[in-house]
This record gives sequence, structure tokens and C-alpha cells, in this order.
Amino acid sequence: MRLVARGLRFVILAAFAAFFVVPVIWLILAPTKSDEALVSRGPFAFGSLHNVALAWEHLDAFSEQIYRAWIGNSLLYALGATAIVLVTAIPAGYGLTMADFPGRKLILTLTLIVMIMPAATLVLPIFLELDALNLIGNALSIILPFAFFPFGVYLAYIYYSTAIPRDLLDAARIDGCGELATFRHIALPLAKPVVALVFFFSFVSDWNNFFLPYAVLADSQQYPIQPGLSTLLSSTPSFNPATGGGGQQVGIFRPELALATLLAVIPVAIVFLLSQRALVRGLVAGAVKN
Amino acid sequence: MIDQLKASAPGAVGAQATRKRGLRSLHGLAFTVPYLPFLITFGILPMVYALYLAVTDDTGGWVGVDNFTRTVRDYRFLPAFGHILLYTTMWLGSLVVLVVGLALLLHGRANRVTSVFRFLFYIPGALAGAASILVWLFMLDPAVSPGSFLLHLFDTDLFVESIAPGRLPFVFAMIAFWTGAGGWIVVMYGALNTIPDELEEAARIDGAGPVTVALRLKLPLIRKWIAYMTILAFATGTQLFVEPQLVNQASLGMVPDTWSSNQLAYQLAFRYGDFNGAAAISIDLIVIALIAAVLIVKRTGLFRTED
Amino acid sequence: MTLLRNSTSLRRLRRPALASLTVAGLVAIAACSGGGSADPKASQGSKELTVWVDSVRLPVAQAYVKEHPELKVNVVTYDGDGNGATTMQTKIQLWNRTGKGWPDVVFSQQANDPVWMAQKPFEFAAPLKGLIPDDVLSKWPATSTAQCSVGGTQYCVQDNLAQVVLWVNQKLMKQFGYQVPKTWQQWAELGQKVATEHPGYIIGNIGDSYGHWIYLWGNQCPLSQLQGDKLLINSTDAHCTRVATMLDPLIKNGSLPPLSVFTPDFAGKFGGAKDKVLMMPGPSWYAQAVFDQTLHIPPGRITAAPPLQWDTETPVTTGQVGGGPWIISRHSQNLTGAADFVTYATTVFNPTGKDARPGYPAYAPLADSWLKAMAANPYFAADPTPALKSAADQVWGGWNLVTYPDQPEWSNTVVTQLVAGKSLSSLLPPLGDSLAKAAQAAGYTVNRQ
Repeated sequence: MRLVARGLRFVILAAFAAFFVVPVIWLILAPTKSDEALVSRGPFAFGSLHNVALAWEHLDAFSEQIYRAWIGNSLLYALGATAIVLVTAIPAGYGLTMADFPGRKLILTLTLIVMIMPAATLVLPIFLELDALNLIGNALSIILPFAFFPFGVYLAYIYYSTAIPRDLLDAARIDGCGELATFRHIALPLAKPVVALVFFFSFVSDWNNFFLPYAVLADSQQYPIQPGLSTLLSSTPSFNPATGGGGQQVGIFRPELALATLLAVIPVAIVFLLSQRALVRGLVAGAVKN
Repeated sequence: MIDQLKASAPGAVGAQATRKRGLRSLHGLAFTVPYLPFLITFGILPMVYALYLAVTDDTGGWVGVDNFTRTVRDYRFLPAFGHILLYTTMWLGSLVVLVVGLALLLHGRANRVTSVFRFLFYIPGALAGAASILVWLFMLDPAVSPGSFLLHLFDTDLFVESIAPGRLPFVFAMIAFWTGAGGWIVVMYGALNTIPDELEEAARIDGAGPVTVALRLKLPLIRKWIAYMTILAFATGTQLFVEPQLVNQASLGMVPDTWSSNQLAYQLAFRYGDFNGAAAISIDLIVIALIAAVLIVKRTGLFRTED
Repeated sequence: MTLLRNSTSLRRLRRPALASLTVAGLVAIAACSGGGSADPKASQGSKELTVWVDSVRLPVAQAYVKEHPELKVNVVTYDGDGNGATTMQTKIQLWNRTGKGWPDVVFSQQANDPVWMAQKPFEFAAPLKGLIPDDVLSKWPATSTAQCSVGGTQYCVQDNLAQVVLWVNQKLMKQFGYQVPKTWQQWAELGQKVATEHPGYIIGNIGDSYGHWIYLWGNQCPLSQLQGDKLLINSTDAHCTRVATMLDPLIKNGSLPPLSVFTPDFAGKFGGAKDKVLMMPGPSWYAQAVFDQTLHIPPGRITAAPPLQWDTETPVTTGQVGGGPWIISRHSQNLTGAADFVTYATTVFNPTGKDARPGYPAYAPLADSWLKAMAANPYFAADPTPALKSAADQVWGGWNLVTYPDQPEWSNTVVTQLVAGKSLSSLLPPLGDSLAKAAQAAGYTVNRQ
């Protein structure tokens, strides 16, 4: 019976894994084919590594290596904003759990409400604010809004309110640690999983954010990768007939687009791998005095 | 014995610490202070501005609910709301059932293989927006898709048929699930990991099978996380923008650029310069999400500190 | 603090803290170094210029920069705002709100962009009279200038023309023994013949987002006709219905599939070695972009024939699919520089060989030299240029560009239903309704007949 259950579990997991992974396999194999082969040969056919090199050449040549700038910008915005998020959201999540101070419920409520506010409406006021601060055109015009990550605050809040036993913290306080020290020496190290989670989600959310940079940045040189990919998409004749006439000069076809997409995914995959270890670690047990 | 352990588990608080909390309250605020400037600048102020826009006209004069009634009468308003309600239902359903289910399945037997599966589930999450749409434009095209046999099963021989109007809510829900599920599975799995091993041990010793452990022990303990996920999913569901916008771009207009309410708000703002109407639609969306959030928060006690 | 001694937390804390500080430091450096090349004050001096182009027009901008090393030209590539996108509307709205940031010159892929750019609430486009000399402006075809004019004022110049001609696979036509049709009627007859004698071969397609520009515009169907301050959208006019009646049997018998030429299925079914495209009414830029690069049809097959005539009606009119406009911003601090750039891009820039301009130049003198190069292009079975040249002046002037894009209405209302099996005749009324709603939302007063 247990074998059947285990087998069933495996089959279900494998079926979903196929659903998630097969399109990605397609994506990995796509740059190895030429544009023609992409539509005429089978989806899992392997072309040649030479095609990949060609695709990279075309991609790099596009608009004077703007692709590299896009990746660099993404790294700058995502890492910069995430650094600020870690320093603001984790303590805030802790503070909101630890005690009931005046305004606590208000902050929690407002954070939740803002989290569900549509991006389209926020863009204009944020744009006006950034302009008032004279930041339009500056990297901070992206990093600062990104550094506001209410989702991270909630992650930390829920983590601290469910995972860290009250008794552990009280034990620390009985030992004589002040609030700040309690936080640094107990709450923070024990929160490794949530730090990893918040880092991960903040980085990925910044990396994948399309709307804000698209609206706020005037120069495509400063775009992070998502609006960049959309610009690339509109330079691909098969997706934008209006560029049809200039396809030859622009040199971006489906394999180049696939390669661009693939390369854009790698930093996020790396971040995920790095965060994996910390995410899996469980709680420290046995530090509670009875 | 399970109940005894449960009593001292995270969540069950002894009365002893309550007395010490008085002084700590201000310290709690201190920890929150670095976050506040961001909350105000990029959260509260823009929201207040949006509220202001929703009740004024383009010269700043007060118009009450005029923007709301005007936008409701727009010929695209009701179809857009219909679309997102249908979409949100499918999206929420898939999240609550499939994501929680998969996380439980994974957690039931944590080993190397589990990590591999978890990683595989997450991979699409790394592709967002333009990236995932690009991939799905091919997955939905029977001529080149690896899943073409599935498409033919659904009587779809052309890409145009894949994105036929009746199918769109399902297609978008599927794409959103494909990109979003992995991340939520990671969160749920992390949540499941906060459950002390002793509880599980105790349950197993008591004779509970894996299904009972999953449904009776683990599920209730992660309910705050499920509540959080549901609130966000409801909000992001009703505010669907990126997928239909990009499919609109890639299909050259076959899927309209006002398919979802959020898209309509965007068009009103930027194509017609009607920021007031756009703000009104956004307020409509938030109100819906807020009602859902309040219901969920009340039902699961998400805001209580002593739990 | 007994717990402290056991934990390695201090050590563990240092590394992420250090990392955070480093990154914060980098951020500070980035912030202090300013916004790179996107300084919005860039165009305030009279020697500076900011130009927005799509990827296809980037070589033009680069060439201009090379020829004018003394000028500071900031070239920004963007998505081109094609196919009904809202990119430029978004940008202009935001620039207008803050009162700064407008570029001096913008190229758009969307032929109707200048129309809304000239009007409220955008008020972005500058009238060209006075900026570009009249004798230069007069060398654009009259229909091209008309497309760029709103209320009698010219707000743009087109980079290229996109007149619709009849592309023909000469090799196949000879092989099957068919004559190149001169009228729509002859063309439709061939469609019937092909369906029985050579099934699988096509005489055109109607699944693209601009199908109405090919089949309805050229046949004078009034779907977008300004009449004073009103807009006429009459999809049940005889000019429209007779075209639908002609096309319906062809769609049904498969010789005119409702597929887009840019989809993988199309290339797979009809392109490459299969070479099943017998004829195809399409714009001038189909030349190599579609037949060679998209469909991979081998060289030596394709050429262009003059646009089809309706029966014996004259004058022969045809449609237009695009024709990217260049727009100068009225907020520009360097109008002379901007005009100079636009003049260069449309009247001077004309490289040869594989870097040749991709589209038929709208400026007539440039068109002549471009046509010479095309006549010598070995890809074509015969010289396509006479057909292209004659069609340039035949674009029907009764179809006016308006502030809203009509391609999405055609795609959404007609193409999706054609695929589902409905007839074009049955779809004309809903098309009219859909266009009317879009027009009204955009502020037009609509006449339905």
C-alpha cells in the first residue's frame, strides 16, 4: 500500500515537473537552431552550438551592446534595492510581531492595502514624486521605489509571528539582553530562512519588474532586462511586422530572442540556488528554558 | 500527547511574557522606523493621490462619484470585469488546491529527490513577463509546440484558436500558474519547515498516516501563510495586467488591450489622458481586494500577535 | 548572555552585513554619478539633440552622428510604438506632467501617431511648415503628405511608403500556365481555379492585423473617412460589401487563408521549399522582408505586379500598410537641428547593398535611386520596381488616419471570427460597430452611413 502511495506521489510530482520544465527545455534548445529550423524541425531537436554563438553575436550587436547594459542595470537595481529591503523590512517585520505599539495595526493594514494597489495608478504619483526629488534619469529613481517591498515586510512578520517561539525570546531577555541585542543575536541569526526568502523574493521581484522602469525611465540604455526584452520583442519581425523591412539590419529573430530570454533567467536561477540551502534549514530547537 | 506539544508550539503563548510587553512596545516601533519613509513615500502618498484623482476631474474640481459612474458605462468595463472574475476564480483555485497540495506532497518525504522537484517547479518562476509570454507563444502554437498533441486533443489546430476569446481566462490562469506556482511552493515549503519535527514524530508514533499528518497537522499550522497567499493571489488576480498586455502585443491586437480592468485603467490614463477615470477603476479593484482581504484576515486571525 | 557564546551568529552576521554595506555603497556611487546619458537637460543647448528611433532606424541615427561630430546627439532606441501600442502616449503624458524630458525628434512605426500627437491632450507634434523648406516638402507624394496632416497642417514626414501591390510568384504562374491578373475579378477567378486545379496553393492571406488596409482600403470602403468634424464609418457601404462577397468563397475554398504571414504555421505550410504562395496582395516592404526572410521562398520566383483594379473602375486605388512618420517636438529647444536631422534621414540617407533602406523611400528623388538598386536585386524573378513606382501615387485618399488605431479592432472582431469559420460578409457590421465604439471613446462624432 505504501509503495502504491509513494508511486502515485512520484507520478503526480513528475507530471507537474514535466509541465513546468518542458517549455524551459524548449527554450534552452531554441538558440541552437536557426530561425528556419526553429519552426520546421521538432521542438526538442538540437541544432548546433555554432548557432548559439551566432545568436549571441547578433544579440550583442543589437543597438551597440545594449543587452549587456540591460543586464548590468538589472543587477544594479535589484541588488541595490534588495540591500535596502533587508535592512528595512526584516527589522520591521520583527518589530510588528514583537509588541503591540500604537499604530501597529495601522501600519500592517496600510502595508497590506498598498500591496494590493494596482501598479498603473501608482506610476503617475511616483513619477511626480521622483521628479520633485529631481531623481528622474537617476538610477535611484528605480532603486528607491523598488526598496519599498511590503511583501517582504509581511513575509518577515508572518515568519516571526509563527516560527520563533515566544519562549526563546523571553529566555534571551531573562538572560539580560536588551532589545537591540536580542534582535541581533537571537532573532536575526534564527531568521536566516526568512532573510533568504526576503532576499530571494525581493531580488526576483526587482529583476522581473516591468512596469515601473518602462514608465519612468526615458533612456532605453538605463532599462533593466524586462523592458529591454519587450523592446527586443518589438524588434523581432515575426512579432512586429512593422520592423519587417529592416529585419536583416537589426538581426533579431526568434533564436536571438530565445537566447536573450535564457540569459536573463540565469541570475535568478543562481539566486535561487544560493537561497535554497538557507530556506530548507529548520528551526533551532532546544534553546528554550522550561 | 500531540495536544500537549501543540500547546507549547509556536503559536501558543504563555501568559508570562505578557507583563513584559509594556516597555517593549516602543522598541517595536523603533524597529519599524527605517521602513516607514518608504511606506509613506511609495505606498501611502501615491495611494492618497490616487484617491484624490478618483474624486476630482482633470482641473482638480470635486466631482464625487462621477468618475465611477462614467467608467462603469464604458463599453469595455463590464467585459473586462467579467474576464478577471473568471480568471481570478481559476487562478485562486489552482493556487490553493495545487500549490498547497504539491507543497504537502513534497514535504511528506523530504529528501534529495524532493529538492530536485522543488527546483524544477521553481524554474519557470525565473521567467517573468516578456520571457514567459515568449515561451508560451510557442507552447500554444500547435505547429511548433512540444505539447501539440494536447492542443489537438482540445481541437486546436492554430495558434489563433489557442487564444480564442472563450479560452483566454484559462490560458492566462495556466501561464500565471506556470510562472507563479513555484515561488509559492517555495514559501509554503518553508512554512511547513517551521513545524517542529517533534510534532510530526509524535503524530506518526500515534499512528497517523501521511495523509492525516498532512491534512490534520500541517495544513492548520500553515494557515497564516495560506491566508496571505490567498489575499495576494486575489489581488494580483483581479489586477492582471502583464500577461494580457504582452499577448496583446504579440498577437498584434487579437487579444484587446483592454481585456482586463487594470489594462482598461492604463489605457484610460495614458491613451486618453483620463487619469481620473483610471484612478476610479483602480479604486474599484482595491475595494474588491480589500473586502476579500478583510474576510480572510478575520477568518484566520492573520493580524493577531498572540498566536 | 550565555546563549551568545555558543552561537556563531556574530560571525554569520558580519558577512551579510558587509555585503549589504558594499552594495549600499555602490548604490550611493551610482546615484552620485548621475543618470548617465539620459540627462533630461540634454537638449537645452542649441547644439544638442535627442532623437528617439526604433531598432530599424538606428543606422540612420548613427550615420547622422558620424557626419556631425560637432553636435551632441543623444540617440535613444525604443520599441517603435507599433501595432497600437501605448508607449509614446505614456511617455508624452508623463513628460507633459512634469514639463520636461521631451525628445526633439521621434520616429514612430504607427502611421496614425502624428494625428493624436498633434491634438489635445498631447499637443506634442510641431507643424513642419517653416522648419523644412516647402520645395523639399513638396517632393513627397500628395497622399503621403495628406496622411501627415491634421486640419490642414502638416505634422510629420513619412520615412517610407507602404503602397499595396500584387506580389506574384512568376515561376509558379508560368508553371501552371496562368496569366497575371489585372483586376480583382480576374484574381478571384484564379483563386477558384487554384482551389480545384492546385489545392494547397494560395493567392493571398487575410489573417494579418492589417488585412483591411490591403483589401478594404484599396477598394474604397469608407471605414475611416473624415467629413468635416465627423467621422464616417460605414461598413455596409457597397464598396465594402462587394469585396466581402468576392472574398468569402476564396476564404472558404482555402486559397485565401485567414492566417498571418508571420506565424510559424504559415511559413511551414506555404513557404520554404514547398513554395505554395502563388500570389499575394501586399505592401512594398513585403519584398524581401516577408518572402525571403520570413517565408524563406527561394530566389528567382517573386516579383511585383501593379495593384489590382476593380473591374473597369478608374482611377485604380490601392491601400497602404504603414509608412513610418518622423515627428518633431514642439517643445524642442533646437528646432533647426531637429529639422536638419529629419531632412537627413528622409532625403539624404541612402546606403547601398545589404545596408540599404528597408522600405520604399517616401521622398521621391530618393525613391528613384532606391528603385534602381532594387531593380538589380537578384532575389526577384523580374524587376518589381515599375509596379512599385506606379502604385506609389495610387493610395486612396478617402481613408484618413485618426487618433485611435484600427488594427486591433480588425484583429479582434474579424480575424478571430474568420478563423472560427464565419464569413467576412457577416463580420462587416460588427466591425463597423467596434470601430464606431473605439472612435466614440476617442472623442469622435461618428456617422454610420
